[in-house]
Amino acid sequence: MKQTDVAIIGGGINGGSTGLELAKNGLNVSIIDKNLICRGASGVNAGTLTMHMTRAQLIPYAKKGWELWMNTSEWLSKEIDVEKKNGLCLAFTENEEKLLIERSKIRNEYGADISIISKKEAQRIDPNINSSIKCAAFCEMDGYVSANQTGSAYSKALKENNVKILENYDVSEIDYDKNKYVIIFKNGEKLIASSLILATGVNLEKTLKLLQINIKIKCLPQQLIVSERMPTIMDTVITVANGKLSLKQFNNGTVLIGGGWPGVGNIEDNYTETKPENLIGNMMLACHAIPRLKSSRVARVWLGLEAETDDAMPIIGEIPNYENAYVIGSIHSGYTSGPYMGKLLAKKILGKNIDLSLFDIKRFL
Amino acid sequence: MINNKKYDVIVIGAGPSGVSSAVNCAKKGLKVLIVDLNSNSGGQIYRAPPKTYKSISKKLEENEIQKKLSEEIKKFKIETAYNHTVWQVSPGFKVNAFNETSTIQWQSKSLIIATGTYEKIIPFEGWTIPGVIGLAACTVILKAHHFIPSKKIILAGNGPLLMLVAYYVIKFGGKIDAIIDTSSKKDWIKSTFSLMTNPKNFRDGIKWVFKIFLNRIPVYSNSTIEKAFEVDEGINVKIRNLKTGKAKNIISETIAIGHGLIPSTDITRLLRAEHIYDEQKGGWIAKVDRFLRSSVNGVYLAGDGAGISGALAASDKGLLASWALLYDEKIISQKDFNQNTYKILKKLDKYEVFAKAISQLNFTPKKLIENIDNNTVICRCEDVTKSEILTAVDRGARDINQIKSWTRLGMGPCQGRTCQYAVSKIVAEYLNCEIDNLGYLTGRSPIRPVPLDKVLGDFDYEKITKVEAAPL
Repeated sequence: MKQTDVAIIGGGINGGSTGLELAKNGLNVSIIDKNLICRGASGVNAGTLTMHMTRAQLIPYAKKGWELWMNTSEWLSKEIDVEKKNGLCLAFTENEEKLLIERSKIRNEYGADISIISKKEAQRIDPNINSSIKCAAFCEMDGYVSANQTGSAYSKALKENNVKILENYDVSEIDYDKNKYVIIFKNGEKLIASSLILATGVNLEKTLKLLQINIKIKCLPQQLIVSERMPTIMDTVITVANGKLSLKQFNNGTVLIGGGWPGVGNIEDNYTETKPENLIGNMMLACHAIPRLKSSRVARVWLGLEAETDDAMPIIGEIPNYENAYVIGSIHSGYTSGPYMGKLLAKKILGKNIDLSLFDIKRFL
Repeated sequence: MINNKKYDVIVIGAGPSGVSSAVNCAKKGLKVLIVDLNSNSGGQIYRAPPKTYKSISKKLEENEIQKKLSEEIKKFKIETAYNHTVWQVSPGFKVNAFNETSTIQWQSKSLIIATGTYEKIIPFEGWTIPGVIGLAACTVILKAHHFIPSKKIILAGNGPLLMLVAYYVIKFGGKIDAIIDTSSKKDWIKSTFSLMTNPKNFRDGIKWVFKIFLNRIPVYSNSTIEKAFEVDEGINVKIRNLKTGKAKNIISETIAIGHGLIPSTDITRLLRAEHIYDEQKGGWIAKVDRFLRSSVNGVYLAGDGAGISGALAASDKGLLASWALLYDEKIISQKDFNQNTYKILKKLDKYEVFAKAISQLNFTPKKLIENIDNNTVICRCEDVTKSEILTAVDRGARDINQIKSWTRLGMGPCQGRTCQYAVSKIVAEYLNCEIDNLGYLTGRSPIRPVPLDKVLGDFDYEKITKVEAAPL
């Protein structure tokens, strides 16, 4: 029977970042995915690295995550496109202006560096924005990653650090015996591990049940829209006051429209379907923010399944009643913070004094 | 924007197969809508000339068939939506389309998909430069528009389209500098018997070959275009004999190249129907039963969408699919169903012999794939080269969707329609595995690029549907 120090179930950005850090510290790590590495939310999200959409309490973590992303050549791979951009969050009505000022203020209290700027200043930063805005919030700490490259980059880095990647391995059972975890796969194979980390994203509810832990994880099917390649029509990452738009243009000319407008989908049969009225709403909002976008054509729409707990805060840390078992997931704006959260959890596992009480899973039990 | 008109059946594609299925359903009293992105019925083979072509259209040979299709649609009061491009189909079924001015959504209980095929092109260095067009596209220019793309032209690829295009180019006064065929003369002779099972098409073929012979067009067998680049006089084309390795350069003005046809699976992939790989039938096709039912209840495949059998079989395949639909909907009895389908199935078996022979002439030689230079762009929408694809494979990507994600191939406006076949061949060749193991590109909406201004129209900010604000 195969053995490993650490078995990580779930090969997305959370499991991958945790595993990478553990492996760099000398542990023998296996990452297991029922599909392919980073083919879930980690590989299909919008890749936005913004403070304007991050939950206030998570700002300190998102800032650290942002710094990690700006330095991927040092810890991950040179071959993932990351761009630093200015971030503008727009308010089109008086109510939105109030909301923007209020939300930015709270985010600043948690350490963000967001300033409210006039329409004129906003237009100087990006002349392409709609001239009907009331005001904007500005943050230098913004940008994006080409999220489709996540799998390629993580796969390369993990292999270089001798992490074993088991793709298309679906876990059917986890036995806990004499401080060891015996992971039984649907194909009949088994793996014995001293430590266990569950990082299965939207499937966490199901995976936690294997350890008789019952908590609710919501599955949010998020739609994303990308345009054909077009000439430069914007130079910032655009968001809006209520947080329901993320918009940026990649170097190849495509414009990505996101913001969490729900589609239809479920994890049971991994089915997703677009909701045309929400696509239209999302596109209208994007075209309202950057009017020239209206001259483009939509090339593709896809969906990703985002995980969310009842309080929309992450669950990271030890799993109660088990030795050396941990969970990491449901991180709001998780793509930005994920690499840092994984690093934190790895440090905790390695015995460092890390406070993860804010994310303790016990609050749901 | 949303019209939500309801039908019993929506037929997508107004070629001979779509029309015959629509007519059959309408005859039995069903409320039918037929949708096509062209301005009239006829599909690709019997494409109607542009509306501005009144005088020339009278001279078009196959116009009679197109006219008959048009008349039938009118006679049986089938609703039509021409000039409408379908961009999204969802279960239930909801069909979304756009035209010049706006978008529209229709609903129906059943769907007949008769979207035909698109052309297969195996890339070579320089296939993306101006002046290189598809062989099937060239047929449209010649037969429906009565144009020759340029005075001088090189025809390349394989299959009977080479001969058909050559015939029309000569007929319309063009000069063919060379015909470059990956098949050998022996391949053509071997297929003769099977081709004779379809006397009309065979006679046409003889007519084409005769014209090529009489005009002393140089034919290069077992050969391919290896490279093409722009020069002052036009395009410099490097020809390589795949057997002997000999190379030769020719200068021409246009290249029309094609290696056969690929069944369109955009809609069935979007509906998550099952698909299988069948090289002879054109590659990945929707899995259907004998009566052309797909794996999704209520979805039927007419025409070449579930495997290529050619224009002559098209209307029978349309009939077959519609009989299955009528039976499933309990409009006809089991007895009627058996009687009606028995003869069609027999006829289709005969066409299969012909289709198989055509498919053998469109065979993709291993050498042709091996011969593609590493720097050749394979996905032209996103500029992904062969070596980038192989790097992703070296790094561990084994599924075509994973390769897509890592390299961006198939992410552009054509959604991989053009490159999926070649990519699959290249990777399967490299890994020495079956194409089935690589899977196929997940269907993604929109299946054709949607112009935002048409979908959105003019709108007020206040009217944008609001979704719940994100948590702070």
